[in-house]
Amino acid sequence: MAAERNYYTIDPEGKLQCVKCGVKLIKGKAKFMYLDNGFPVELPVCPVCGFVYVPEELALGKVLSVEKALEDK
Amino acid sequence: MAQIQERGSTHVYKVNKISKEEMENMVTRCVYEEAPFCNAACPLKLDTRAMLKAAAAGDFKKALQLYEKAATFPLIVSAGCEAPCEQKCRLCECGEGLAIREVEAAVARFGQAQRLGGIFRTKKKKTVAVLGSGLFALFLAGELEKKAYPITVFCEQPDLENFLRCGTEFLDQEAFGLELKRLKGKDISFVFSCSITADFLAEKRVAFDVLCISEAVFARLLPSAAFVPELQYCEEEKLVTGSSAGVMDAAFQAKKAALTVDRLAQNLDPRNMRGQEDPFESRLYTDLSAAKELARIPAQTGGYTKEEAVKEAGRCIQCHCDECMKSCAYLKHYKKYPGLLSREIFNNTQIIMGDHQLNKPMNACTLCGQCTAVCPNGFDMAHVCATARRNMVSTDKMPLAPHEFALMDMIFSNGDAFLARPQPGVEKCKYVFFPGCQAVAVAPETVKAAYLDLCERLEGGVALMLGCCGAICDWAGRYEMQAGTREFLLQEFSKLGDPVIIAGCPTCKKELAESVGGEIIGIWDVLEEIGLPEDAHGLDRPAALHDACGARGDAPTQEAIRDLARKLGVTLVETEYSGDRAPCCGYGGLTAYANPEVAAEITQKALERSDAPFLSYCMACRDRFARQGRESRHILELVYGTDAGAPPDISEKRYNRLNLKKELLSELWHEETAEMKLDYTLEYTDEARQLMDGRMILTDDVIAVLNYFRETGEAILDDETGLMIARKRVGNATFWVKFTQPEPDHYLVHRAYSHRMNVVRRDG
Repeated sequence: MAAERNYYTIDPEGKLQCVKCGVKLIKGKAKFMYLDNGFPVELPVCPVCGFVYVPEELALGKVLSVEKALEDK
Repeated sequence: MAQIQERGSTHVYKVNKISKEEMENMVTRCVYEEAPFCNAACPLKLDTRAMLKAAAAGDFKKALQLYEKAATFPLIVSAGCEAPCEQKCRLCECGEGLAIREVEAAVARFGQAQRLGGIFRTKKKKTVAVLGSGLFALFLAGELEKKAYPITVFCEQPDLENFLRCGTEFLDQEAFGLELKRLKGKDISFVFSCSITADFLAEKRVAFDVLCISEAVFARLLPSAAFVPELQYCEEEKLVTGSSAGVMDAAFQAKKAALTVDRLAQNLDPRNMRGQEDPFESRLYTDLSAAKELARIPAQTGGYTKEEAVKEAGRCIQCHCDECMKSCAYLKHYKKYPGLLSREIFNNTQIIMGDHQLNKPMNACTLCGQCTAVCPNGFDMAHVCATARRNMVSTDKMPLAPHEFALMDMIFSNGDAFLARPQPGVEKCKYVFFPGCQAVAVAPETVKAAYLDLCERLEGGVALMLGCCGAICDWAGRYEMQAGTREFLLQEFSKLGDPVIIAGCPTCKKELAESVGGEIIGIWDVLEEIGLPEDAHGLDRPAALHDACGARGDAPTQEAIRDLARKLGVTLVETEYSGDRAPCCGYGGLTAYANPEVAAEITQKALERSDAPFLSYCMACRDRFARQGRESRHILELVYGTDAGAPPDISEKRYNRLNLKKELLSELWHEETAEMKLDYTLEYTDEARQLMDGRMILTDDVIAVLNYFRETGEAILDDETGLMIARKRVGNATFWVKFTQPEPDHYLVHRAYSHRMNVVRRDG
């Protein structure tokens, strides 16, 4: 089987915790969806409730540039 | 609040055609690419403008290269040229036309002859022969050598000197010597002392791919044959020919003949793809104010010296049209003249699959119409961009992101913040005051004062309508929303009994006139009629008047504003671009939303016109200028003695609209609005407020996030910063808020950001 491709990976390194569940966020599987396109990524995720965290640098950096590229398709 | 549907997919493989005729009709108005007048008049199509520029810079080598491109034997051509270019020189209209021929002669004398490729130059495979002598044969051989054909000249003369002498008897010894040297340097084979007979011709027909022949030989050997002068070609005999009657005729015919040879050598019809060969009338526009030196430098008997030629060439004003580029910061930003930019923008709409790289420029035009006013041919960039935007919307290829904030703002103006009421105590009003969404957002106190004044001083009752005229969706190209807005406004005006509309903003006046129709006047017209309020007074220092793009082409409005300013006692400073030629403030066309960088450049350019405070009559202009740190006042602020103060941020603009509605409903119509009170304390750091304004995040968005957090408890804690982070998807974006919680019901917002992509968890 071909190796799974992730467009972006962030490891929370135990510095983030879910307020609701009281547990540390872990590196988990997530997906960005925009205009009928999907991108598998690995982001900090709560192992209990599934909260996916998108850091500010990612939102205003890579995510924004991909949004703009897709918008002009 | 209603949402706007995001486009479903990037996989839309359809386009709505813009016909070539429709496109050409718009694009060809731009004369930037038109040939200068001298160049258009020249049968040889010499790039006179570039040659004169090089000569003026003292670069005679480059000047000669350009001259040789058009004239293979420059000294012969300059000696025999009748200089039709000189008559067409625009300097003739304000002084003495340029002595182009004299400059050319000097360029030919002082310039360094060009060497083409030398032995490494690749020759074409097809062979060409020229039979005969004279100017035509000489020029044609030169033209064909330039096109890299292996060429052989068969002539009756015994040597090269005699061949060159034929038809060039007017040349002095020095010029003859130089041209002989030039001819020797060319890669042309010569066969001298030939007896050109019918048999000789027949023999060469077989030996060469294309055969050319001087007119004299043609007439002698084939007296009954005729040739097509436009092609210099006798189809019957398959011969290329031309006359040597005059220098220019011979040179022009040699050019046409060389093109025919080129087509024949490729087995193509010589009639096709010939381009513009004859001299023509140029449509170029030239601003003659650049002309300074109006008298010719007199030429001595031997022609110009180098210095004189440089000086005369320096008189050339380098005819070109950049009227729009001089005035429009948008065109300047993209460094493309409108003809080219429009073509690219149209092509952008016709892309079936792939990147629409011109989306940004297409959405950065303010649609203000300044280019149309300053262009000698009325080029309409606004029409091009507006057409392109609507076209892209129609195929669902238009991104929503650049315009969504503005469109949502419009929905807010005509939804939560909308108000339509007759004047208290008047059942059917004669008038309705429509101040415009920006006026209410930026200067609610001024709007209130204006409305109360109108109610007091106008007979017949004045209703009030707080809302958006629809310009926002018009600018965004969202024609379906525009039709909906029109329908909504028609109904609302109808409920009020279709009164005369008093617009507070020139753009509203224009937009409403086009959409809902009926009688529409400006508040400035009313004030002209009823006079200013008693205590109205102007500024104690001169102010520059900024004309609104909504009033372009509306001379009565422009004049009424000037008259009001005079009556207010304002000393107006004249600026270079005013009236119909005024630039946009940067708000128009939604540029401020779609492309803040270009919008800032446009605002800066508008402000550069004067150091004085700016006086405007559109609240969006007032706001843009104030945001750029310039003292900026709306004329109604002076009329009513109000001061809107520092420009509000995006959330304050919404608050101002809601608040004025609430205030007026309570004070005038005695209707109380339920107050939306938060059951917790919410504060922002200065940094958060600043970030939110720049990132187009409203306090309402932050409240939505915090409400969701309070409801679900979903948030994360960043151990490093100690900040809590919560999020909520609102409409087409996810908003994130970083905050601290000093007390259980007290939140302090530190940062906020958003993204449009939706993020979900995935399994496996």
